[in-house]
Amino acid sequence: MTPVDDAHLIDRVRTALKMVIDPELGQNVVDLGMIYEITVTDGCIVAILITTTTRGCPATDFIRQGIEECAWHVDGVELVNVRLTYDPPWLPSMMTPEIAALLGQ
Amino acid sequence: MPGASLSRWTMTYFAAALLCLIGAEVLMVAGFGYPATAIEAPETLLLVHLTTIGWLSLLMCGALLQFVPVLVARPLQWPLLSPIALLLILVGLGALLCGFANMAEIITVPTEVLPLGGVVLAVGFGTVIVSLGRTMWMARPLTLPAKFVVAGLASLIGTVTLGETFALTLAGLLGGEEALSLLTHGVPLHALLGLGGWMTLTAMGASYRLFAMFMLAPDIDRFSTRLVLFAGVFMLVVVAAATPFAMAATMGLSVMLLIALLAGLCALALYGRDVVTLYRQRKRRKIELNAYAALGAFGALVIAPILLVGLLLSGQLSTGVGALTYLFVFGWLSGLALSKLHKIIAFMTWLESFAPLLGKRPTPRVQDLVDEPHAAPWFGAYYAAVGFGALTMLVDLPIAFRLFVGVQLFATLAITVHFYRTRLLLNLSAESRASIGTQHLFFPQSIARIRP
Repeated sequence: MTPVDDAHLIDRVRTALKMVIDPELGQNVVDLGMIYEITVTDGCIVAILITTTTRGCPATDFIRQGIEECAWHVDGVELVNVRLTYDPPWLPSMMTPEIAALLGQ
Repeated sequence: MPGASLSRWTMTYFAAALLCLIGAEVLMVAGFGYPATAIEAPETLLLVHLTTIGWLSLLMCGALLQFVPVLVARPLQWPLLSPIALLLILVGLGALLCGFANMAEIITVPTEVLPLGGVVLAVGFGTVIVSLGRTMWMARPLTLPAKFVVAGLASLIGTVTLGETFALTLAGLLGGEEALSLLTHGVPLHALLGLGGWMTLTAMGASYRLFAMFMLAPDIDRFSTRLVLFAGVFMLVVVAAATPFAMAATMGLSVMLLIALLAGLCALALYGRDVVTLYRQRKRRKIELNAYAALGAFGALVIAPILLVGLLLSGQLSTGVGALTYLFVFGWLSGLALSKLHKIIAFMTWLESFAPLLGKRPTPRVQDLVDEPHAAPWFGAYYAAVGFGALTMLVDLPIAFRLFVGVQLFATLAITVHFYRTRLLLNLSAESRASIGTQHLFFPQSIARIRP
């Protein structure tokens, strides 16, 4: 796999993850800026670094599992590893301007 | 991995609490208790405890079982204690109310039932405290909102202890001048610990976190919030220190009560300032019904201290204390509770019903589970009824008071119907509901039962 192929896979995973929403804000986790990093190794192993808007949110485990499930179904992905971090903590400025506008910012 | 869990029995606590609220409002509409009877009459005591234990304390316990894990980002410890505690609290409350009904000569039961109910209640609340306490102990150092909860739970222990002392004295099982003096002079301490310490400090702590979660307000760790906690804890310490004065019936009690009140007022003023700041600094400009319905509760929290100071200065506290308590309990505490329930019930229902579907298929938002345009007017009606109810009680118009409590009851029932619709996903299309199994109204359900 070439770096270009990896970049395409990352794009496909990122697009697929738009199906997963943060239930409280009602918007997808990608545009909310909750996906910090997606990396591909060996052409098929995907590592995703995520956060949540609030530490200790009861939906955290479900969001993490949803992201894992969603990414795993993307063509070319064989293994997914989702890690949760609060460093740096999520900030509203991480949202896309469109989503920020929807939330009345 | 740090994270909270879904409290499986919280919805059952909420259902029991709402039934108690409706029951208390029905009694008030029927003219039971103050102002139809004396404020210290057993009928009033029955009504007060149905409201404060049955409605507010059950609700608070259910909410804490869900939100303490959120506050400390750790799962609830010993969750199997939750249903046991609920059962004990309900049995204890039932016995306590029977004891008051016996004193009012409505039913006949042995006088020991009253203190026995207090003991069962103490064990029930103790069970909740054990579960929450262990959860927080394992999460040290505690966040600032969690420290409010610790102060609230400490107040609950004090409230229950004083209450049980009263019950033992009333049943004739505890005698002597000191016990009688405590019963005569210690009721304000019991009320301050319960309404001020247990309910208000806990509600404050939880609300700071909920602001951050639901309005994207900045996380609080500000100096003023520490001062709120300090003033609140200082009030509790003064109340605890005043207990020997109440037992000895000395003049020092009034001075200490005044100091406690001043500390409480300082805490309220600083909290009010924090709330205004958080509303202003929120990143989510379009706020939801739970946030703007809570404004009515904050309004009551502003008016109540002003009324208190006015009554103190005019020497009318003894005649106005009923209206003041009604405003504080139904305007501030119950208003905040109902407005936050509107969100919490939707959030927990979403977690039960749709969280396992994340990543598998499109899911609705939490907000799709509620019907804000139709629910909002009922919150308005509720606050208006409570406001006029307090006013008519204050100027001694008992019939008008009952009329406004009738409106309050109707609004409460309408808000409860909205909770019911949220629980059964009735605000979603039939198509969205089709893939979800039968929704349990208030019994816990396993999220594993949901069809993928």
